[in-house]
Amino acid sequence: MTAPDTAPPAAADTAPDTAPDIALDVRDLRAGYDASDVLEGICLQVARDERVGLFGPNGHGKSTLLNTISRVIRPRAGRVAFMGEEIGQLPAQTIVARGLVHVPQANRLFPDMQILETLELSAYTPRARAAKDETLDRVLQLFPRLAERRRQACKTLSGGERQMLSIGVGLMSAPRMLMLDEPTLGLSPKLKDELAEAIAAISATGIPLLLVEQDIAFTLSLVDRMYLIDHGAISREVGRSGGVDHQEIMEMYFGTGEGA
Amino acid sequence: MSLDVISAILVSGLVLGSVYALMASGLSLVWTTLGIFNFAHGAFMTVGAYIAWTASDQAGLGYGLAAGIALSVAVMIGLGIVLERVVVRPFYGQRDFLLITVMSTLAAMIVLQKGTQMIWGARLKQLAPIVPGKATLWRTTISAQETLIIVLAPIVLIALQLFLSRTRTGRGIRAVGQNPDAARLIGIDVSRLFYVTFALSAVLAALTGILLGSVRLLTPQFGDDPLVKALIIVIFGGLGSLNGTIVAAYAMGLVEAALTYAIGIYWTPSLIFLLLILVLLVRPQGLLGKVTR
Ligand SMILES: Nc1ncnc2c1ncn2[C@@H]1O[C@H](COP(=O)(O)OP(=O)(O)OP(=O)(O)O)[C@@H](O)[C@H]1O
Ligand SMILES: [Mg+2]
Repeated sequence: MTAPDTAPPAAADTAPDTAPDIALDVRDLRAGYDASDVLEGICLQVARDERVGLFGPNGHGKSTLLNTISRVIRPRAGRVAFMGEEIGQLPAQTIVARGLVHVPQANRLFPDMQILETLELSAYTPRARAAKDETLDRVLQLFPRLAERRRQACKTLSGGERQMLSIGVGLMSAPRMLMLDEPTLGLSPKLKDELAEAIAAISATGIPLLLVEQDIAFTLSLVDRMYLIDHGAISREVGRSGGVDHQEIMEMYFGTGEGA
Repeated sequence: MSLDVISAILVSGLVLGSVYALMASGLSLVWTTLGIFNFAHGAFMTVGAYIAWTASDQAGLGYGLAAGIALSVAVMIGLGIVLERVVVRPFYGQRDFLLITVMSTLAAMIVLQKGTQMIWGARLKQLAPIVPGKATLWRTTISAQETLIIVLAPIVLIALQLFLSRTRTGRGIRAVGQNPDAARLIGIDVSRLFYVTFALSAVLAALTGILLGSVRLLTPQFGDDPLVKALIIVIFGGLGSLNGTIVAAYAMGLVEAALTYAIGIYWTPSLIFLLLILVLLVRPQGLLGKVTR
């Protein structure tokens, strides 16, 4: 297993054992659909106290990466470790039970289920069920709009409400780490601010974050560090020491992306 | 039309409707959850009834009806799981999943039917009724067993609805049917719930077979007609809607009873199909149905 030359130097093939402060450790992950390869050897790490952004042009494999980590699709090669344990071979439900929770892009959830029912069901794993009532209170506090509409079916929710519910569903699964895929897709600036606040509040409780986002300002307000994904590989990483520099990001995005 | 005739049509329509509702609910459940039509569903009904007969009848093991029902339920849970594993699971995720499983479940149906014939022979058998004797409903006298069918069907269907809406597993089954990937991402073991769904539907079919097995005669083709009717009902009721399925089942029972009285048993099946086609011309989504599953 050799890392492609686009991999960041930090991917250290020479240190296969995960450091104890690493929450998520992805090594040379490859995946795709049928005949097409999408991920060409992804390496990335998220520390236990870290919020990391993942950024890149449309169709370059961000969602595929999250789907592979959470085992919605099967990896073709590579390793994934979560909290120091290999999870690459585990089925999706076990990964959730371990606490690695994926909130997918534009999740339409369960069209005919009501909000409250969906949230209750989402505390499905034993660990999540044990904390169900508390978490439900917290989610409804975080998103009062969901509380107002608790009997409304998922399919009738607005885009913003659905996004809130998706994140709420993620929280109900009792995450020890959250992977959010484009939580602000198609939302108004005002709603984006609301969501950013909610996500910051979630992450302030000590939950590490891997955030996929197209909105740079939104991402910058939330993360400590960012990866740029380019044609299925990590092409750059910024902000490991100190904060993330806006200018640097703009250069990175418009310099190496295929035009936004 | 005299009251006697109306009563006779209503009562026999109710009996038929109850049988169809029990059969079609299992078929509908499998459709909404796995997205397939299980053509072996009628064979489940047949096999379930034969197993109960073997365990209970004097010509078989002679342990009595309670033991027969218990054994049948146990075996059907196993058979449901095996069938899902062997003829459905290998094709999951393939592009032509629906068409392939039409063939594979048809194949399973034929195997089960031939197996039934081989094990139990072609000689007609009949289960003892759970409740013997006659009963008069309004102006019509039917067997007590048929009355039991009328009473039991709504109880079973309500229990099924409660299971699906209140329990964790039931809600999980609905979630899997509506969005399997989202279900996985909240920690639901989708494969396990596929087994549960198939087993549950097999038990529902067997239960129908056991109830009907003292009213009609057991043959290896015992479940064929109920399967065809149940298929029509699931489409008629609107794919993916259990309530629609149940309404359609009773509607079908009553229409069949009325047509049988009016034009006789010979042309009734053809007319039912014609009616179905007419309804689907007006409402392509079925009675209460959604457009997709
Ligand atoms: N289910 C699928 N079957 C086949 N190809 C797919 C599937 N899902 C995604 N792809 C392809 O894989 C590539 C990467 O898609 P992916 O969704 O991971 O991109 P993305 O970076 O998340 O894009 P976006 O920013 O638009 O969400 C694209 O070329 C896409 O067409
Ligand atoms: Mg995406």
